[in-house]
Amino acid sequence: MSFNTDEYQDRHELPPLEGAMLFAGLMDELIPGGNGWPSASSVGVQSLVAIRLSEQAGEAVLDRIVNAMISAGGPLAGRPTRERVVIVKNFEAAEPELFEQVRIAATFAYYENPFVVEAIRRKGRPYALRPHLLGYPMQSFDFDKDAPRHKRGAYTATDRVRPVDISKLNLEENRTKRWGIKR
Amino acid sequence: MKAGRICDVLIIGAGASGSLAALVLAEAGLDVVCLEQGSWVKPEDHAHLHADWSWQRRTNWNPDVNKRVHPDDYPVISDSSQILMWNGVGGSTNAYGGIWPRYRPSDFRKGTEHGLQPDWPITYEDLAPFYEQADRLVGVCGLAGDPAMPTRDPCPTRPMPPSKVSKLLADAFDRLEWHWWPVEAAAISEDYDNRLACNGCGACNGCPRGSMCMYSTVVWPRAIKHGAELIVNARVLKIERGRDNNATGALYVDRHTGHQHFQKARIVVLAANGVGTPRLLLTSDNLANQSDQVGRNLLHHTLVAGEIWVDEPVDGHTGYLASLISREFAETDVTRGFVNGFNFNCITSVASAGETAAGWFSANRAPWGHDHHKWFERHFGHGFGVFAIGDDLPNPENRVTLDPEKSDADGVPAAVTRYVPGENDKRMMNYMLDRIEDIAEAAGAFQYQLQDYRNSDGVYCTPAWHMIGTCRMGADPETSVVNKWAQCWDVPNMFIVDGSILTTGGVVNPTPTVSALALRTAAYIRDNFRNLDGAAA
Repeated sequence: MSFNTDEYQDRHELPPLEGAMLFAGLMDELIPGGNGWPSASSVGVQSLVAIRLSEQAGEAVLDRIVNAMISAGGPLAGRPTRERVVIVKNFEAAEPELFEQVRIAATFAYYENPFVVEAIRRKGRPYALRPHLLGYPMQSFDFDKDAPRHKRGAYTATDRVRPVDISKLNLEENRTKRWGIKR
Repeated sequence: MKAGRICDVLIIGAGASGSLAALVLAEAGLDVVCLEQGSWVKPEDHAHLHADWSWQRRTNWNPDVNKRVHPDDYPVISDSSQILMWNGVGGSTNAYGGIWPRYRPSDFRKGTEHGLQPDWPITYEDLAPFYEQADRLVGVCGLAGDPAMPTRDPCPTRPMPPSKVSKLLADAFDRLEWHWWPVEAAAISEDYDNRLACNGCGACNGCPRGSMCMYSTVVWPRAIKHGAELIVNARVLKIERGRDNNATGALYVDRHTGHQHFQKARIVVLAANGVGTPRLLLTSDNLANQSDQVGRNLLHHTLVAGEIWVDEPVDGHTGYLASLISREFAETDVTRGFVNGFNFNCITSVASAGETAAGWFSANRAPWGHDHHKWFERHFGHGFGVFAIGDDLPNPENRVTLDPEKSDADGVPAAVTRYVPGENDKRMMNYMLDRIEDIAEAAGAFQYQLQDYRNSDGVYCTPAWHMIGTCRMGADPETSVVNKWAQCWDVPNMFIVDGSILTTGGVVNPTPTVSALALRTAAYIRDNFRNLDGAAA
């Protein structure tokens, strides 16, 4: 493995401790704690996000994030809630793709944390950190109780397939301009 | 491989269809060699066993070949499709969901029905015994007796446990007076054939437990036991042809050593999927392409979807990924304004909390900030998905071609796919989305979010789980690549057994039909080997 020296150029002046604090603060703005939920930084989300984003996009991505936060009005420490939210919104608006990367990575790192998994369970939902190991208990299909009772449904047998009249469909002339969600 | 050895049958590709062909032919005592460009995938390699499994599903276990970085893969360039593909032993069954519905009889008769697609040269009845054979191998779970389908044998294992999602949806379909039925799946609901029953973990993309049929663990060991030789990390560079137009074998590179070898064969069977097979034919001096149909008529299915949330907790992250199938709209009814039909694949929900919060397949996701957990508590365990899968019409310009510049690590040109839905498909999608809204209302949804798979530029970027039709089967050598036995018109000792030969897409996931066709073709080769060998001599 070779190092890309370009990654180490144009680094921001923010010292590592302040950079790490800013990164952790950003995580908590994305996923704050409360009401039985740990905050993102309390379960170490920032560490996993930093590792994963570095792996995906190179170490320079961390500096890009820190720089973007500074440009957006950061750092966050010591600022009132309303100002912190504005800073993060500024980041989101200025660098939407980078922000999306951070947000997605933070969300995944947070919800795969064992303490968060326990919080989900305490909210009443069955949930396992690694569900494949033991699965979730389910009642077997009961042929008497669970089989459909309706008689709906039909199919056209091979020897009953007949030509349909498609002359009125006008697939060539009548073009659909609005389709999909904006139909 | 022994130098100079001429094997009876050379299979290219060790996925679902290649494994079944190998099994049938090796059981018959034929000398079978299979070349697979990827590697073995061991159960412990899967993401499921790790705490970061959901992140891995997004990265190194992403089923989209362009969203993971793996040396076994080759580049597929597309501005309109997300390409689900796994290059390795077992192929895409390493990462699929295993929904297992069959084509219906009319799917084989679209030429007769409306003429906008060709008829298949075979019928549902021709294929039915092979569907049954595939079901027994796979250990399909499900329930016979669906009035919307022809009679079938009892499924090897009973339907999956009815989930809260399936019960809620069954009630919704009853209110709408629409058809529904327990979904058939390539996963076992009871212990079967020395495999453990599904434990309802919900993480159904591949299954290291083995409850879902991955062909690497269910089929290949049997084929190898019967003498089939499987060579992995063997990337085929070219299929060679002799003066008599028959294939003589394949040139491949051992990806570990970089050395090239030529495997001679009496019969060649292509099983490299709907993108890989046309790619290989095109790069083999346009082999089997006198009709100019190789690579054309790429089908993905007409696909739209909806995520639906209800007040009642349904815990859709638990249990097998699919609950019901509805065949209410499977047949053509021109009063809808289009030909062909579609099915609803009613799925449960995504298995991980992170995937839910980050947004599953629609735009609805947890906001960042103060309301994040409020959204999560309202939605996690309260949602499920409905996919509408329709029969898209073939378009010769929807196709697989070769990139003139980009190639894989061994110099084989990259595949390029182009896919644009047609007028009939657009009309169908609009109708499907309206019906998904009907389902949401009948289910008592407090919220639903539709997905039309159009990007910010309006381009339809379907998650192309199904890549079919690119070497289609037909009765006319001018308009098809293979005949009714999947035998290439132009190369008599070469057969294609993957999804590229499907003449039409049907309204269902294609792997059951691909598997049945592979079994049928392999049986034909087995039963006619002497004559076919003569053709190759």
